[in-house]
Amino acid sequence: MTSLTAAVAPVPPPGTARLAARGRSLLLPVRPALAVVVLVALLVAVCAVSLAVGSAGLRPARALAAAFGQGQGIEVVLVQRLRLPRLQAGLLVGAALGVAGLLLQVVARNRLATPGNVGIDDGATAFAVASVVGVTAAYAPSGMALAGAATACALALGLAGGAGSSGYRFLVVGLGVGAVLGAITSLLLVRAPIDAANAAFPWSVGSLSARPPGPVRLLAIGLALALPAAVLVGRRLALLRLPDGVATSLGARVPRVRLAALAVAVVCAGLAVAVGGPLGTVALVAPAAARRLAGPRGVPVVGAALAGALLVVAADLAGRTVAAPVEVPVGLVTALVGSPYLIWLLLSPRSLKTP
Amino acid sequence: MHTGRTYGLLLPAVALLAVGLASLLLGAGDVGPVRALAAVAGGGDAEAAFTVWELRWPRTLVGVVVGAALGVAGAVLQAAARNPLAEPGLLGVSAGASAAVVLVLVLGGSVATLGPAAAVLGALAGCAAAFAMARLRGVGDDPVRLVLAGAAVSGLLGALTSVLLLVDQRTADEVRFWVVGAVAGRDAGSLLGSAPGLLVGGLLVALVARPLAALSLGDDVARGLGHRPRRARGGAVAAVALLVGSATAVAGPIAFVGLVVPFAARALVGPDLRRVLPPSVLLGPLVVVLADVVSRLLVRPYEMPLGVITALIGAPVLVAVVRRRRVPAL
Repeated sequence: MTSLTAAVAPVPPPGTARLAARGRSLLLPVRPALAVVVLVALLVAVCAVSLAVGSAGLRPARALAAAFGQGQGIEVVLVQRLRLPRLQAGLLVGAALGVAGLLLQVVARNRLATPGNVGIDDGATAFAVASVVGVTAAYAPSGMALAGAATACALALGLAGGAGSSGYRFLVVGLGVGAVLGAITSLLLVRAPIDAANAAFPWSVGSLSARPPGPVRLLAIGLALALPAAVLVGRRLALLRLPDGVATSLGARVPRVRLAALAVAVVCAGLAVAVGGPLGTVALVAPAAARRLAGPRGVPVVGAALAGALLVVAADLAGRTVAAPVEVPVGLVTALVGSPYLIWLLLSPRSLKTP
Repeated sequence: MHTGRTYGLLLPAVALLAVGLASLLLGAGDVGPVRALAAVAGGGDAEAAFTVWELRWPRTLVGVVVGAALGVAGAVLQAAARNPLAEPGLLGVSAGASAAVVLVLVLGGSVATLGPAAAVLGALAGCAAAFAMARLRGVGDDPVRLVLAGAAVSGLLGALTSVLLLVDQRTADEVRFWVVGAVAGRDAGSLLGSAPGLLVGGLLVALVARPLAALSLGDDVARGLGHRPRRARGGAVAAVALLVGSATAVAGPIAFVGLVVPFAARALVGPDLRRVLPPSVLLGPLVVVLADVVSRLLVRPYEMPLGVITALIGAPVLVAVVRRRRVPAL
């Protein structure tokens, strides 16, 4: 009996491949894995171009080599000192926003939920601006942005009476919360002395041109912790797309999973806003692209992170080059790309379906 | 019922008079209420008289006119869309008007001559987009979803405006005003350019009020009563575009007034549009002038953008409407 089962290799479920080596095996979903490969390839290409393009142009391949310390000294200095920090900030911000948007959309059961729509961006911005106007410690913006993001999310959740079952109410309540917090940001900027107001300006449009090193480091650490947590939560989240009763009967502890997903989303969004300001539409488009590539099954956390990073780096590249020497802030580029997609989503009849 | 209607007009009228007086007496500068009162009474020193009659009086006047236009436009738009959340600012009508003005400026036109016309055309485009969305299946049935679509349109137009301003630095300073919304620094003369649009818009509202009120019973009933639903809606769209476009040409985009005013007016006199309109004419100026006074006092000696204050007043109302168990259909 035992020899019979050992002889026949188990057939993997459709859509997955079985990787086996030395008695251990791993079930790999084919389409999401392919999506990750495609996104990584695209990301490397866009990063190379982004490092190469600038006031002194380089060949993409040489720019990529220079990023790793190979090639002429001046090129290495140019790329590593000037262009690499900006690219890193863009990658981190995009990945964080992609993950935040994906988790929020699954929890809210709505493809339109983004940190921007439910007021998290505005909360983080208001608190971060308050910290720039008031406190001047290097890590203050990140800490305050986190607090602001959590406050806004809690407000929207509490006022809407839950996220999953109330349809669009969560989003429109979030819109209202965001409007109040945005007004508070303007209030702070008007009251502040002109230098402090200038220092706080990047948070109001969404830009990568003023990346404070402290918040970038914090974002890197936060993302390193949040991404594995998101992958773990993501496996549970797939059940949350079913009605609450069904998910519970399948063994998911619905309130706890929801809370964990929201916490990860708030951490990602808050830290990202502290670096790049509000880039809300990234969190809308990146998860959608990841889902399109990875197929309807599962919650593509890694794919959303890669798509977000790709989007922000590409948008920053476009903003720097299209209207040069004027630099269009990356927040405006993503808004121009994301808003039409948002409108199309709202108007297409299929958008009533949950993600 | 009759006493309710009387109070519904008396209350806002008294409040408007009080707020208007406060607008003349209070300010961010040095002229205090006592000196200003002397100037209002016809006496007082030269500085006080100048401050009251050359600075505070014009902006109060502009606030009254803009507020009335926005309040009425909000009431009409809500009745025509049968949606208590339909607000010109939220649905992208104001954003359309302000984007059109910026476009005219960037293309080299003069704001003084082309501004009002461009703003009305932009508002018309924004209004048409909002209604096209409201008529779509699934979107129009869900008032809350329409607001999200409007927010998306506003966001897109706002980003376009910002890009235009970035590319053309010359006009940036001239235009910044149309992007935020304010009644400060507007002289009464700027009202003249917008007066025709406001008058025609008001006239149209008077014409479509009765058919629109009948539409709240449903298209079929309204047709049975001898009204033409399509023509009534078209008239409403034109009226809203004229009112909001003209108001935006004077004061820039001011959000949430068209949401708060009909909300309060319905609380005073009930849901019938014909009864809602008169108090709206009074409540709109009340909200705008009150917000303007607050904007002067909050951060003395500086002033706040007016739109910030109206957002602080209006967003809680938005949350309150959405929080109701079922958003009531109009």
